[in-house]
Amino acid sequence: MFSADLLANAVVAGVLLGGFYAAVAIGLAIVFGQLDIVNIAHPAFVIVGAFTAYILNSRFGFDPVLVGLLAAPVFFIAGVLLYRIYFIAFERTGQESLSGLAFFFGVMFIIEVSLIMAYGVDYRLVQADYIGRVWSIGFVDFPLRMLVPFSVSALLTAGIYLYLSRTFLGSAIQAVAQDRLALQLMGADPVRIKQWAFGLGIATAAIAGSLLIIIGPVEPSVGRQYIGRAFAIVVLGGMGSIPGMFIAALILGIVESMVSTFAGPSWSPAVAFGVLALTLALRPAGLFGRT
Amino acid sequence: MPAYSGPTLALSLSIREVEAGYDAVRALHGVSLDIAQGETVVLLGTNGNGKSTLLKCVMGIVRPTSGSVALDLDGVAHDLTRLSTEEIVSLGVAMVPEGRRLFPRLTVEENLLLGAFRPQARADIRKNLAFCYETFKVLKERRRQLAGLMSGGQQQMLAIARALMSSPRLLLVDEPSVGLSPLLVSNTISMIKKLKDLYGLTVLMAEQNFHQAIRIADRGYIIVHGEIVFVGDVAALEQNELVKNYYLGTG
Repeated sequence: MFSADLLANAVVAGVLLGGFYAAVAIGLAIVFGQLDIVNIAHPAFVIVGAFTAYILNSRFGFDPVLVGLLAAPVFFIAGVLLYRIYFIAFERTGQESLSGLAFFFGVMFIIEVSLIMAYGVDYRLVQADYIGRVWSIGFVDFPLRMLVPFSVSALLTAGIYLYLSRTFLGSAIQAVAQDRLALQLMGADPVRIKQWAFGLGIATAAIAGSLLIIIGPVEPSVGRQYIGRAFAIVVLGGMGSIPGMFIAALILGIVESMVSTFAGPSWSPAVAFGVLALTLALRPAGLFGRT
Repeated sequence: MPAYSGPTLALSLSIREVEAGYDAVRALHGVSLDIAQGETVVLLGTNGNGKSTLLKCVMGIVRPTSGSVALDLDGVAHDLTRLSTEEIVSLGVAMVPEGRRLFPRLTVEENLLLGAFRPQARADIRKNLAFCYETFKVLKERRRQLAGLMSGGQQQMLAIARALMSSPRLLLVDEPSVGLSPLLVSNTISMIKKLKDLYGLTVLMAEQNFHQAIRIADRGYIIVHGEIVFVGDVAALEQNELVKNYYLGTG
């Protein structure tokens, strides 16, 4: 029953899966972790990213990762516009906590239903020559449909981390929820900083979506499975810490993979909420939280 | 200590008949105030008399309903009531807010660098950072520490240093004594005086601690219920009946 190669493969599969989860969670690490905006529609944008990859791949044969990169600026603009609406309707009048949550819930439904009306509820997939290939080192398998998303996600995480920690705008993004007035006194416009950061968060969803559809077929409502996961990762990582988020994503991926290998796949969706509950009980600041 | 070679050209701030408030509450009634290049002016008054509101009017955070706030820089007049806070910061006005308002979950150095957010300030960032670390040695020692974990006195140093990172010509300081022990208040005031001399700053400071404030003041204004009730130099202030009543307890 228990064997070393099964364990090794479960761990490797978990690391690869977790790496991909980081791509889904990184937008929330910015928008929820740094800006305190509860954007539960984020996974829905990831699904839009996946469908964008599907459409351009099936029509023109574009590589899905390339589509993700090309779509990111368009998603950025969509994010900026969405934040404008959110700001004018809720944040400006101080109603963001509950009404804002309802707003993003509505956005999620509109996206999901629009995709169902346009493309139905069938699973869609992309073609790329690396998708079926597997690299093997000893008895451990590295399927490229997992390794490519892992690698792209790791690069995305490193890029966002450097951006937030090394640039003026990055520091301002970290500062804006901590003290809005003080940031204004530094000569930065808090609304424009938040709008930029929100756009950046949504832009990452374009890339995460293209990775999602490389891993496996996607239908419009699979985004829901990622709401709990992505929030659990951001909280476990320590609200806004990018390295913490990546490590938390790996932990969640490994635990899910082990549970799925040794206890059965039907248990794996429970893992995220288990991790979330344990984090909140034992270490509410998360692994790398700056309290 | 490296001599600071900041701008030394002419500056003056002229506040005329400013009315301002929050919704139905009028906080300022026809306030007028002048500061010339190199002066240190204190705005004296107890809590709730409009000191912070007046400083916020200068920074463009509170908009006066009438009156004017004019900054004259090297012969060019700028109407601050029509400019955004970002533009006002770019003109060389910086404010150390009441309660320090640091970014608690950013490091000391990240706080300082954000002080140089305006593109105009970024050219001098290395020079200004070196100056701040030289002047406030404790900040250099603790530059990787989170700002929120420092003591009140260190936080006040950081708040002042952060404001200096934008190479200001006019520094507004709002109640530097709040939340500090008497010794730290005294140190803070001495530090502002030292910086003023090194930096060639013009300072407008709102304060309720009369004894500390007059140590560095050239002139003072007393504000009561949103109106300026007295203007004068330090000697005149010390003789003023209101000051005696409010601050010296001899009335």
